[in-house]
Amino acid sequence: MSFLEFVEGPLWYFAVAVFLLGALWKVVGILRLGRKADLSIPRASATVGAVRSQFLHFVPHGGFTFRTIYHLTAGYMFHIGLFLVLLFGAPHVIFAQNNIYALPWVSLPYWGFVVAAQVAFAGLILLWVRRISDPVMIKISDKDDHIGSWLTFLVMLSGCMALQESVGALRATHMLLVDLWLIYFPFSRLMHAVTFVFSRGYTGAFFGRRGIVP
Amino acid sequence: MTPRGLTRFLQKLGYAGLLVLGVWFAMTGFALNAPAFAQAQETAAGSVPGGVEGSTSDSDFWRSISQGERGKVSIPDQKAAVMINRSGEDWRLVRMGPLPLWGGVLIGISLVGVLGFALLHGKFKLHGQRTGRVIPRFSQGERWVHWFVASLFILLGLTGLVILFGRYLLKPVLGADALGAIANAGLQAHNLLGPIFIVAMSIMLVMYFKDNFYQKGDFTWALKGAFFSKNHPPSWKYNLGEKSWYWLIAFGGTAIAVSGVFLIFPTLLDDVRGMQLSHIVHAICAIVLIAASLGHIYLGVWGVEGAVDGMTLGYVDETWGLEHHRWWAEEEIRKNHAVESAPEAVLAAKKETST
Repeated sequence: MSFLEFVEGPLWYFAVAVFLLGALWKVVGILRLGRKADLSIPRASATVGAVRSQFLHFVPHGGFTFRTIYHLTAGYMFHIGLFLVLLFGAPHVIFAQNNIYALPWVSLPYWGFVVAAQVAFAGLILLWVRRISDPVMIKISDKDDHIGSWLTFLVMLSGCMALQESVGALRATHMLLVDLWLIYFPFSRLMHAVTFVFSRGYTGAFFGRRGIVP
Repeated sequence: MTPRGLTRFLQKLGYAGLLVLGVWFAMTGFALNAPAFAQAQETAAGSVPGGVEGSTSDSDFWRSISQGERGKVSIPDQKAAVMINRSGEDWRLVRMGPLPLWGGVLIGISLVGVLGFALLHGKFKLHGQRTGRVIPRFSQGERWVHWFVASLFILLGLTGLVILFGRYLLKPVLGADALGAIANAGLQAHNLLGPIFIVAMSIMLVMYFKDNFYQKGDFTWALKGAFFSKNHPPSWKYNLGEKSWYWLIAFGGTAIAVSGVFLIFPTLLDDVRGMQLSHIVHAICAIVLIAASLGHIYLGVWGVEGAVDGMTLGYVDETWGLEHHRWWAEEEIRKNHAVESAPEAVLAAKKETST
C-alpha cells in the first residue's frame, strides 16, 4: 500500500469516523448540559426567537456594522470561498463521488476554483492578521485558535499546490493534512461550524421569550 | 615481347584502365549521390532532410537559422517563419546564468550582512527609560494591511525562491523528482496568491502614501549617521530608509505585479519576447525586494528595541518616538496625541481607523 493509498484509504476512514463521532459526542455533551429553567414571564415565543436569530445573526446588528466590517468581510470571504472550493471544486467532487456518495454534482470551472480559493485565502489571512495585530484579539487568542487557523491554512495551501494533479506526493500531503484536520476538528474551536446553531438558538430563545429581537 | 605485342598489351591495359576508371567513377558517382537519393526517399516518406543544396553552405544555412533569421511561409502565422527564436536562447542563458548567480549573491550579501550586524552589534537599544506614556503610531487598518501584505510577501518570496534557486540548492539534496514536486507546488501557490498580493499591495501603497514623501531633513538624517550615530538624528514619521523602502516597494512591487500578470496571462502579450522580458523583470525586482526586506524585517522585528510595538500594538513608547522619530513625536505630543496608557492608545488607534 502506497502512502497515498494509506491517507486516502484507512487513515481517511479513521479520520472521518473520529470527526463524526467526536462532533456527535460534543453536541450530545452540549445538549446534556441543559439550561436553567427560565422563570421570566413569556412575552413571545422562545422557539420563534431561536429560529429568527439563526438568520438575523448572519448580519451584524445596526450600529455594529461599521465596527465589525473588517472581520465581517474577511469572515464571509473565507467561509464562502472555502465552501465553494470544498463543495464544488472539481477534484473534491470526483473524490466525493468515489468515496462518499455517487450522486451527480456540479463542479466549478478551473477559473472559478482559482478565484474562490483566492477569496478564501485572502479571508483566512486577514482573519489571522487581525488575531495577531488587534490588542484585544492578541489577548483572547490561545494555542487552539492558532493551530486551527494554521491547520486550515495548510490544508488549503497544500490543496492548491496539488492543483495540477501531476504529482502524487502533493496529493498525499494534502490528504494527510485533511485527515489531521478532521481528527482535530471535534476537539477544537473549529467545532463552531456546528455549535454556532446552538449558540444562536440559545441566545435567540432567551431574548425571544422576553419579546426582544435577538 | 614484340612491339605489336606490346602495343596490344598497352591497348588491353588501356581498356582495362578505362574499364576500372569507368567502374570507379560510376561507383563514386553513385556513392556521392546516394545521400541525395536516400534523402529524396526520406523526404518522400515525410522525414526532415539532413542536408541542403544550393549556393549557401550548410554551416551558413544553419548559422542563419540558429540566429533567428526569418524565412518565408505561406501560412497566416508569420511567427512560423522563424525556425529558432534566438531571444528564447538568450533568455535561457540569462535564466540559467547571471540571474541566479547575481541574484543569489545579492540575497546572500543581504543575509550575511544582516546576520553579521545582528551578531556584532546586536539591538539598537533605547537610551532613555520608557515613560509609560505612549504615542499611537499605526492605525488598526494600517497594521492589518501591513501584516496581510507581509504574510503574502513571505509566501510568494519563499515559493519564488524555490522556483528560481531550487535547481541549485534543493536538487543536490532532495533529488530531481522531489524538486520537481516542490517546484510544481510552489508555482501553483505562487500563481494563486500573486493576484491577492497585487490587490493588498495596492491598498497598502495608498494607505501609506501620505507620510512617505521625501522632505527636508531626510537626507540630513542619513548624513548625520542614521542608525549608527550615537545621538540618533531626528526624523519625521518615517526616516529616509523607511521612505526609500516604501518607494522601492512602490516601483519594484508594481513592476513585479505587472510582469506577474503577463506571466499568468500570457495571451495578453502577442510576443514571446514580452514573456521573457516579464520573467526577467519579475525575477530581478523580486530579488531586490527580498534582499531589502531582510533588512526591514531585522530592524522592524528585532533590531530596534520597541519598534515592533508600533506594528503589533499600534503605539510606541514616548521615549522611542523621541529617540527615533523626534520631529514626528514632538508634533504628536504637541497635538496631544500622546496618551498616558496603552488602552487609551488602542482606543485612539481604533478611532483613527473608523474616521
